[in-house]
Amino acid sequence: MTPVIELQDLSVKLGRREILKEISCRLGVSGSGKAIGLLGPNGAGKSTLILTLLGFHKATGGSARILGYDCRSQSREAKTRVGYMPENDAFIAGMTAVRFLRVMGELSGLPERAALEKAHEVLFHVGLGEARYRTLGTYSLGMKQMAKLAQAVIHGPELVILDEPTNGLDQAARARMLKLVREMKEQHGMNIILCSHLLRDVEEVCDEVVILKEGRIVHHADLEEERRANRRFVELEVAGDDNGLAAALREQGAEGVTEGNGRWRIVLPPDVDLDVIWRVTAGESLDVHHLTHRRDTLEEIFLKAVGHIQGTPGDEAEPAEEAAADGRS
Amino acid sequence: MAVHKRGYQRYEGPRTGLWTRLMVLPRYAWEGLMQQRQIIAIFIAALFWPLACLSFIYLSNHRELLIGMPNEFTAMLDIDGGFFVNFMNVQAAFAVFLATFAGPSLIAPDLANGALSLYFSRPLSRPLYVLSRMLVLAGVLSPVTWVPGVVLFAVQSSLAGWSWTVENWTLGVGVFFGLVLWMAFVALVAMTSSAYVRWRVVSGGLVLGFFFVLTGATELTSAILGTTWPAAFNPTYASNQIWHWMLGIDALEGPNALQCFLTMMALSAFLLYVLDRKLRPIEVIS
Repeated sequence: MTPVIELQDLSVKLGRREILKEISCRLGVSGSGKAIGLLGPNGAGKSTLILTLLGFHKATGGSARILGYDCRSQSREAKTRVGYMPENDAFIAGMTAVRFLRVMGELSGLPERAALEKAHEVLFHVGLGEARYRTLGTYSLGMKQMAKLAQAVIHGPELVILDEPTNGLDQAARARMLKLVREMKEQHGMNIILCSHLLRDVEEVCDEVVILKEGRIVHHADLEEERRANRRFVELEVAGDDNGLAAALREQGAEGVTEGNGRWRIVLPPDVDLDVIWRVTAGESLDVHHLTHRRDTLEEIFLKAVGHIQGTPGDEAEPAEEAAADGRS
Repeated sequence: MAVHKRGYQRYEGPRTGLWTRLMVLPRYAWEGLMQQRQIIAIFIAALFWPLACLSFIYLSNHRELLIGMPNEFTAMLDIDGGFFVNFMNVQAAFAVFLATFAGPSLIAPDLANGALSLYFSRPLSRPLYVLSRMLVLAGVLSPVTWVPGVVLFAVQSSLAGWSWTVENWTLGVGVFFGLVLWMAFVALVAMTSSAYVRWRVVSGGLVLGFFFVLTGATELTSAILGTTWPAAFNPTYASNQIWHWMLGIDALEGPNALQCFLTMMALSAFLLYVLDRKLRPIEVIS
């Protein structure tokens, strides 16, 4: 099975600064119609990675492959199969949307007639059918985003790279954009790489997530698996002597870690009921001030990966690069 | 079925080849340029001198029509290297004016609107993008440069006969290559100015300025230093010297054709370097 993205000790320097530091991973499976989320704090190297895959930056070391094609030596083959929606404004001045898409389609290798037909078709698909003869300069921000999405998929690519697709969109437009992205993978079998700083977007659309920090992959999670695991996480705040709480929880099959000042984070396996918490705290003579329980969220995964919160007990201590490299995708 | 009722389907049909894709940008650019009044006006104006030259060729080959004309006038109608150099000089000026209006709309809007990232994420490399933009200008400049030049030579050949053609074939080759060289240089200047300055008016001014300022600067330097070598950096002089050599007529005073050719190559290399620095899909601030 050909991975969508395969990186082997990829390093990229911009000026004197090393942005990507020998990262290796295999992401996705070609033709599977899955979405991979690319997350990371500002400056983590997300955009640099995307731009390197597209051949805009030269790798200073290692290699990168898209759909099995080397990004440097086989860039033409790779780019024929890729659609890219950039983050910033990108269009051809003074052109109507339909003409713009024709040009983009023809540049991607569509014959003239097919490009014209697809231009109309894809503009209706993204909801710009009625505005297709207006020049792009007169479009609102939301319409421009949709036009950018349209140009990325006009040639029916196998892989669509979306860089912050919901930037500047209101709630309704955002929902529509995410719906289109989901349709692209579920109905049309396209692989998606979604680069976003909005965790909710990634959570709604993606099947896998890769978290970058300071030019390295710090976490690679299969969100489907995480959702399936259905583990429950409890946040607990108690008053009293809680020194024996961890041991008491362990006896009941749960695991907990204290964050100080009586605050605890506890993982309950699926077969352990929430009542256990009440029983254990009562047994330890602790007053419960606060108790919330929820499933693991992408936000939690992200914050743990970038080191902003302590790891929840029960998480496998799996080195991120190993997890990514073993093709768990 | 109407497109809007059919819904989106992934394209799975055949793909076009490299050369078809290469011609996409020129095709759309030509459509746009042909809608500009200034371009059409210069285009038409640039056809007057070739028509005049055509009538000179006709008169030159029908001397019986000139009976009674002063000898000085009939001597002017000799079709030789000097005649073609005069033709080339006028058309070269029109080529500069055309490039001034056509050039700025080529790259500057792409840079200003971030279109390069869309082009380069497709199977279109930077060299191919430059080539496709060069083709736009080649398409606009050819009808006012080498095409009428070759037509004039062909007409003269047909009127003067086979023996004239055999004796003067180098004129045809010189006209063709001389004007192609000039066209390529002017196109390069126009593209570089379009990539360097995103404001179209300024970019157009820069094309004119390049030729006028270099001419003035080289003449000033020559006068101050009391030497002729700076003239090699004057594109107008340099190309003229090269044409004189190509058409086998007396060289101009100053640097020879080889020196002029090398200087023009050096200027072209510099322009290509600037173009390479500016044509990036993304700007990296290091």
